Amino acid sequence: MALKGLDIFKLSPKKNCKECGSPTCMAFSMKVAQGAVELSKCPYFAPEALAKLSAATEPPMKTIKVGAGDAEMSLGGETVLFRHEKTFVSKTRYAMALCTCMDDATVEQKLADIAKVDYERIGERMFVEMVYVNDAPDGAQDYVELVKKAAATGRVLVLGVKDAEKAKAALEVCKDGKPILNGADAANYEAMNAVATAAGVVLGVSGADLAEIHDTVEKLEALGNKNLVIDVTGETVKDTFKNAVQLRKAALKDGDRTCGYPSIVNVAKVARGDAHKQAALLSLFTMKYGSIVVAENIGYAEALPLYGLRQNLFTDPQKPMKVEPGIYPLNGADENSVCLTTVDFALTYFLVSGELERSGVPVNLIINDAGGLSVLTSWAAGKFSSGTIAKFFEEQDIAGKIKSRKLIIPGKVAVLKGELEAKLPDWEIIIAPNEAVQLVKFMKDFA
Amino acid sequence: MPFTPKSGKFNASINTVEIGTGDKAVKIGGENVFPLYSFDAPIENAPKVGIEITDFGMEHELECIKKYYEGCTTLAEIAAKAASMEGVDFLSFRMEGGDPNGANKSTEELIGELKEIAAAVDLPLVVCGCKNAEKDAELFNAAAAALEGKNAVILSAKEENYKTVGAAAGLAYKQVVGAESAVDINLAKQLNVLLSQLGVDKKSIVMNVGTAAAGYGFEYVISTMDRVKAAALQQGDVNLQMPIITPVASETWGVKEAMSSEADSPEWGSQEERGIDMEIETAMAVIAAGSNAVILKHPESIKTISGLMKELV
Amino acid sequence: MTLFDVVFSGNDTVYGLTEGAIDAAIEKHGADKAIAFPDTAYSLPCYYAVTGTKVATLGQLKEALGVVKTLMTREPRLNDAFMSGIATALCAEFIEVLKYIDGALPYEAPCYGHLADAVIRELGVPLVTGDIPGVAVILGSAPTAQEGVDLVKSYQAQGILVTLVGGIIDQCEELGYKTGANVRVIPLGKDVTSVIHVVSVAVRAALIFGNIQPGDAAGLMKYTMERVPAFVNAFAPLDPVIVACGAGAIALGFPVVTNEETFRVPKSLIVQKDVSKFNATSLEARDIKIKITHIDIPVAFASAFEGEIIRRGDMQVEFDGSRVDCCELVMTKEASEIEDHKITLIGPDIDEMPVGSKQSICYVVEVAGKSMQSDFEPVFERKFHSYLNCVEGMMHTGQRDMIRIRISKDTYEAGFRAKHIGEVLYAKVKSEFAAVVDKCQVTVYTDPAECTRIRHEVAMPLFDKRDERLTTLTDEGVDVYYSCIMCQAFSPSHVCVVTPERLGLCGAVSWLDAKATNELDPQGPCQIITKERPIDERIGEYEDVNEAVQRFSQGALEDVSLYSIIEKPMTSCGCFECICGIEPLSNGVCIANREYAGMTPIGMTFSELASMTGGGVQTPGFMGHGKHFIASKKFMKAEGGVARIVWMPKELKDQVAERLNETAKELYGIENFADMIADETIAEDPETLLAYLEEKGHPALSMEPMM
Repeated sequence: MALKGLDIFKLSPKKNCKECGSPTCMAFSMKVAQGAVELSKCPYFAPEALAKLSAATEPPMKTIKVGAGDAEMSLGGETVLFRHEKTFVSKTRYAMALCTCMDDATVEQKLADIAKVDYERIGERMFVEMVYVNDAPDGAQDYVELVKKAAATGRVLVLGVKDAEKAKAALEVCKDGKPILNGADAANYEAMNAVATAAGVVLGVSGADLAEIHDTVEKLEALGNKNLVIDVTGETVKDTFKNAVQLRKAALKDGDRTCGYPSIVNVAKVARGDAHKQAALLSLFTMKYGSIVVAENIGYAEALPLYGLRQNLFTDPQKPMKVEPGIYPLNGADENSVCLTTVDFALTYFLVSGELERSGVPVNLIINDAGGLSVLTSWAAGKFSSGTIAKFFEEQDIAGKIKSRKLIIPGKVAVLKGELEAKLPDWEIIIAPNEAVQLVKFMKDFA
Repeated sequence: MPFTPKSGKFNASINTVEIGTGDKAVKIGGENVFPLYSFDAPIENAPKVGIEITDFGMEHELECIKKYYEGCTTLAEIAAKAASMEGVDFLSFRMEGGDPNGANKSTEELIGELKEIAAAVDLPLVVCGCKNAEKDAELFNAAAAALEGKNAVILSAKEENYKTVGAAAGLAYKQVVGAESAVDINLAKQLNVLLSQLGVDKKSIVMNVGTAAAGYGFEYVISTMDRVKAAALQQGDVNLQMPIITPVASETWGVKEAMSSEADSPEWGSQEERGIDMEIETAMAVIAAGSNAVILKHPESIKTISGLMKELV
Repeated sequence: MTLFDVVFSGNDTVYGLTEGAIDAAIEKHGADKAIAFPDTAYSLPCYYAVTGTKVATLGQLKEALGVVKTLMTREPRLNDAFMSGIATALCAEFIEVLKYIDGALPYEAPCYGHLADAVIRELGVPLVTGDIPGVAVILGSAPTAQEGVDLVKSYQAQGILVTLVGGIIDQCEELGYKTGANVRVIPLGKDVTSVIHVVSVAVRAALIFGNIQPGDAAGLMKYTMERVPAFVNAFAPLDPVIVACGAGAIALGFPVVTNEETFRVPKSLIVQKDVSKFNATSLEARDIKIKITHIDIPVAFASAFEGEIIRRGDMQVEFDGSRVDCCELVMTKEASEIEDHKITLIGPDIDEMPVGSKQSICYVVEVAGKSMQSDFEPVFERKFHSYLNCVEGMMHTGQRDMIRIRISKDTYEAGFRAKHIGEVLYAKVKSEFAAVVDKCQVTVYTDPAECTRIRHEVAMPLFDKRDERLTTLTDEGVDVYYSCIMCQAFSPSHVCVVTPERLGLCGAVSWLDAKATNELDPQGPCQIITKERPIDERIGEYEDVNEAVQRFSQGALEDVSLYSIIEKPMTSCGCFECICGIEPLSNGVCIANREYAGMTPIGMTFSELASMTGGGVQTPGFMGHGKHFIASKKFMKAEGGVARIVWMPKELKDQVAERLNETAKELYGIENFADMIADETIAEDPETLLAYLEEKGHPALSMEPMM
């Protein structure tokens, strides 16, 4: 049970010294309760208070950092099982698999493919962030050489290798990029732990089942290593799903801190050779508790829905997603095309732009800055009014950029018509239907 | 301390609803665990997969769908072919052409087509409308009558027309009533309550709680389904224990990732693959969030999802 | 003769006829002869529904008659009369089924006789949905054919299904009036016994649509009473057989309206001498509401016109409450005081007003309904603004007696007149508030003297009374609170408990609003929460409230208090107007409103506070609330009330100062309390704040420690 801010405040020094960076002890306590600040930032907590609080404020799932520099990313740190409870914090990362079992041509092809997917979607760069380099027992490629090539992609590496010596050699060439060494199991954990600790990298733990993994993790923790991730991949899809869910549930719901580590799910292993099945599993393990999901290939076909899904899933349930305000010419619209305006709530944007595209009529979609709220909500909040629209038109110099003087406004804010006519006197204000689905016919009739 | 997973089995369960008749009838729902958590307790009915065809036949379909129906000239032939695809549990007929703002086909014409299809296949049937609430009321009223005795799903009654659809499908002709709401647990519940008050048996209701393509406001779909299942199972809310059926194809094949041609978006590669993966990934996500059945279009998507369900559950 | 005697004798007559007919039939065909109505799975539907027994042969019919006889008890009690009525109906069914022996076709056009199951399924759906709002059974001959046809026509125009029995069929034919199932006027037959075919419809509707089990007579009668909106219009002269049939109808819940001077039974047997009023009387007796789908005005009505502005040059006439006497008003009346859809104009019409002139107007909308409450009046009134604005070429601003209306020249040219304001208000009030409004009439006053009178003598006292009710409404003074979960789309586990003194934290939902929302949409976001089981009066915790909160939050919340921000405070969604939070140094709370972007002495801005307080989680020490709540006597009552407020932004303070001062004076006897509260011009950090409070002698400093 997470502590409330007020409970923490009661134990705080109440000095308002500001040394922690917060203006008051109350503000600091609230941030600690939220998990936004660590308790250790305050130098004045009494030791007994500290002891009492640190156990309670320790997160149920650790945040593990991998990658270096710009490529650094956080895994784990989740506090809830469902996104409506609180925002999921560390989005799922995707890795493409390389293997010593591949021939040279395949390796070259894969290396080229890794870089292929790279685009922006609502302000977020979408690309394959990781490369999983697998050491197959009878692989023909030299592991260290393969790791070198993988490292050259600039992606964060996950080294799938069980041999401590090979791991050590591989880390020699890539440890600065802060990869994950995914190689510890019940048999080799001591050696692997030494290698990972020496290189200062995260260690991945796998095993026959969760019980065995749990056991190994406990032993590693006893050795002082809490910089871990857990490879939950089982023999079958079913086992893998079970492991992924049970691990996360045990950590967040049942308070088993030994389970509180990010997960790796290797769907390349359980659905080898079946691209569509891997696509489905990429989706499944994004939904259910994969911190890193490894697939054989991630091209645009897999990525477009997958990254959209991830972007949706890892959002604040209380804050709607926003799109960038501005002019979006659709269906080959130019400066003479009619304008249609609405709000920057992502859902509204997608619905409206989708229907407009379906109509085939060239139109300039003007997205206002309405605080990311829906049409009626932003209107009620005064963020989508004749005043804000007129101001936005002026700031963006819409009249300078577009020659058409026809402006279509959402039917739900028909009430703005008169005021808009007064504030934008050169424009003819036209009322659209109330619902987006009616836009296709409206636009066709209009054009 | 050894690892001891706690069971996530609930005392409450999702209703089991049978659709169709005879050997080909399928059951959806019935589980007393979160979606796909068969390790907590056995899930008797794995999520089911339906195939969608529309009254336009192959007229508006992409080449990648058309090729599977080569040689089919009538709707009956298309339906029979669709029903024969691997992994198909039920057939969904969408009366898209009924839309007064579109082709505006008459109710008689569409119901005639529906009857042809019903005669051509023995799989359970799901009937979808044209999204115009008023026309749908008329269509569903007639469809419920035309399919008397088939135990079909009428998808679906909405707040605007639930009385007509509920009375025709649920009361007069004893079909399964779909209750459709737009990604809001309270609206979903309200509609179920209203339908029950009308006299529709709660065990003959399935829900479509709203959907979207992955990336298109899909977070609302996830959270709505998560919350519906939590309320149904944890809280034992009998007004939310109806199984969920989600039409996926009609959303995913309309977004630009699936529609944009290879000529328009060369960097994106194969359009067919994009369409399939958009469908597969969205379907998998709605199933993970709680759908007990999905409606898809591409035979490859259907094969993949249906095969995976057998592996997972 | 008493009414009982009449019913019993009519029943006896019909029974005798039935017995004779069955005996004759057995003699002719033998007891094993099969009998059935065509195209039904329900045997003799009425008998089957009442007894659960199917009758297939003449012999069985004879046995069934024996069962009917047992219903015919003869005590002068209401139940005996009803049962005799039912017995009469069953006899009628027996007589009718005999007509179909040997596959005979006893009815020919235009009469239908027995109706097939398929017809019932088809008619049943619109009946259940209310698209067919009622079923009229017209029996006998109207005084004149024209009156009869006019009555049929009036029902038809309302979408009511009309069935005809006896002379009225000939009257329709005589005037060439079109009948048939397709126009929903169904002549059944000319014998009085053919009335059973409409009863059969009602009964089968109960079996098919109501899941009533055959044999469950009580369930059947409950269903027909509650769900089948049928009624009987029986023309004089009435004979005992008709009266006995009428008793059967009443037993099923169908009132009988007649123009014969006869016995009266309130709400059941109603005498209406004026046939032209049969329609209104019947609808009122059966509580049938006709859906309004059309607004009878000469210009368009759509939300697209809501934002129209009518400039001086374009306006035909202006009504301006700031210059002359104007007002808009909703008043609750008794049903008997209102004639539905009566629109009255008192004073000159728009034609008589000079172009561009300023005029007086008052429109009074009088409503009646079984569930209508005067608390809804302001809720309706507030909607007038948007209704009238939706009229093409009409602009409306303000409310109560400060309204301004402009009507454009084009709209005037199109034929828009003063009564059309009444039409709009009538149609909207009747359709949008159908749940509570049964009848509605509108009076439009344009006569200046009348307007002065209405405004000053009727409206203003009523407005004062309402305001007073608002200020005197207390949490203790009401029996229930309301939940509001309108925000759950964004804030899944949040539940607002709305009480008279604590409006929704968005500031938009008062207790009266919530109450009205609940009445109008009983399954909607506002549900009744009882408050019968207090746990702790001090912090305002109730077992019932906790249970409701658990239910509406789907278990996410266990318990809430209404009056404390430390102990189990109410959750916040994200839409709150203000947040208050503890400022420990001064032993009080600071309040920040959404518009305020600066720092608070707590060390957090509004948005930082919001991110910690929102989302439907309980955050002790912090709470979202509406602006109006600040001056409430229930504002953190458990911690000592408004005396805890030590800081708020200046703008907010100015807004609430007057009411806050009143509350502080009443609670603590402090004058000008708002002046003791600091704002951003005085302090943005706790130390400066404390110094100011000490200087002012702020009461919070000497109160019990909050933690």
